[in-house]
Amino acid sequence: MIMAVILLVLAVFGAPLFTIIAASAMLGYVKEEIDLMAIVIEVIGISSLPFLSAIPLFTFAGYVLSESNAPKRLVRLTRALLGWMPGGLALVSLAACAFFTAFTGASGVTIIALGAILYPALQQDGYPDRFNLGLVTSAGSLGLLFAPSLPLILYGVISNVSIDSLFRAGILPGMLMLLLLSGYSMWTSGKSDQPLRRFSFKELAGALRESIWELPLPFVVLGGIYSGYFAVSEAAAVTALYVLIVEVLVLKEIKLSKLPQVMRESMLLVGGILIILGMSLASTNYMIDAGVPQQLLAYMSDFVSSQASFLFLLLIFLLILGAILDIFSAIVLIVPLILPIAAQYGVDEVHLGIVFLAAMQLGYLTPPVGLNLFIASYRFDKPIMHVYSATFPFLVILMLSVIIITYWPTLSLWLL
Amino acid sequence: MTGLIRGWLDRLDRWGTAAENAVLVLLLTTMILLAVGQIVLRVFFSVGFVWADELISLTVLWVAIVASVAAARSDRHLRIDALSNFVAEKYARFPRIIVDGFAAGMCLFLGWQAFRYIQLLKEFEDVVLTDIPAWIAFAIIPISFVLMAYRFLLLAGKGVLSVISGDVDTESVQS
Repeated sequence: MIMAVILLVLAVFGAPLFTIIAASAMLGYVKEEIDLMAIVIEVIGISSLPFLSAIPLFTFAGYVLSESNAPKRLVRLTRALLGWMPGGLALVSLAACAFFTAFTGASGVTIIALGAILYPALQQDGYPDRFNLGLVTSAGSLGLLFAPSLPLILYGVISNVSIDSLFRAGILPGMLMLLLLSGYSMWTSGKSDQPLRRFSFKELAGALRESIWELPLPFVVLGGIYSGYFAVSEAAAVTALYVLIVEVLVLKEIKLSKLPQVMRESMLLVGGILIILGMSLASTNYMIDAGVPQQLLAYMSDFVSSQASFLFLLLIFLLILGAILDIFSAIVLIVPLILPIAAQYGVDEVHLGIVFLAAMQLGYLTPPVGLNLFIASYRFDKPIMHVYSATFPFLVILMLSVIIITYWPTLSLWLL
Repeated sequence: MTGLIRGWLDRLDRWGTAAENAVLVLLLTTMILLAVGQIVLRVFFSVGFVWADELISLTVLWVAIVASVAAARSDRHLRIDALSNFVAEKYARFPRIIVDGFAAGMCLFLGWQAFRYIQLLKEFEDVVLTDIPAWIAFAIIPISFVLMAYRFLLLAGKGVLSVISGDVDTESVQS
């Protein structure tokens, strides 16, 4: 007990999470008199997880894309497609961010790569500053539920749920988030009088021509995965190679000499995630062996009787969790423990995944430690309190969509 | 004298970064080529190599381990970073010394456990990729944990130095 408190204090003081998890696994092993060497065996065990290569490969592809001029082309194309609608540029921002996040995982690169283009553009079009800041900050984690986002893949790897099903399940809930935010944006911009742009075939043709090299990407990746032609790890390998060839050799937007730096940058995140994954395998395996989920369940069944109240409790828990823990650590640490409990309450494991990720997405925006809040504050040079308040209306809308997603399982399970 | 040591440490630092980058580039390129190669073989020739799949899995592990060392150098390991956002840098560095010291200790301990495991593998003559001794494939693990311990020790040491000299290091550690 004392040791647990010490570890908690160390964690809050900012000790690297993997060392905390390793230490807690060790405590468990010592108690059960298991040789501590077993932790290393569990870490090596990450190499036997299926599809795991998708994580470094997609992350790398995402970093290459964000270092090239692809974000600019994406914004131009989306603008040519959606820019004529009321609240056009706001919709453009939401759609482009969602798309980009799905392809680059959810590492905060969206705000940096796209926010830097969209934020000044929104300003120029006369949208209020607070709105722009909130929009760009919250859009930075939108798209988490769309294939091939890293959290979806990681959830699949951890829970043994088919990643294809998760990719299908995320579509409608992700659309719901997009629609609600778009509705809010149209409503806000309807109040101010933005001049409407006209739809131009010429501009659309120009934008299409400009992004001719990236256009096949979503079709190959999504088409390949949804049709079952590619496994997710294969799609990731194709994406990585394709992006590498296009941005480095064809378009020459990333110098060959800069490539090692981009590889390193992308792998820093991957290393951080995978080492936590390895340590968590050790700690959660111990906890499952020790019957922690059953104990939790027994404890909960005293006052949680229905599925609805379980989901309510889960949401509260995930919102708190999301505020203090990043989504990747949360997935590897918590999912193995709540899966058996959720099953007892009859929650579908695919639906659980979508609820988990949707709720954790809010964590990017909730104080005190929402990652996107800090990236936005840093990137756009605004005080953090200002970013909090600007993001708040968007947070409320996303919260509403998470509640709908949680209590309407059909939305997640329809396309399975 | 201190200048000489500092010069050596700096040189070590540059070599270390270059080595990490080289290994990461090599591993990532191997992973991409192997995976795409397997697809080409499967689609056009309906064959595939079992060893290639195993090698891809091993590369993922190696990437994870080497990237972890790199993340320790660039101070990019995932942490609950509540403190530094709310407490002035001047006070936040004390707990940082403690946690970095703790991290160094943990890494050293994990390195030792990994070393014991490697010895065991050697004893049992386990193999990977049909005939390569497993201990060679996994020897990178204890080495990496020791390197990480060294990085965290340096971070803690830097913290101690900044407390002693009294100046607040305002530049961000992130590279």
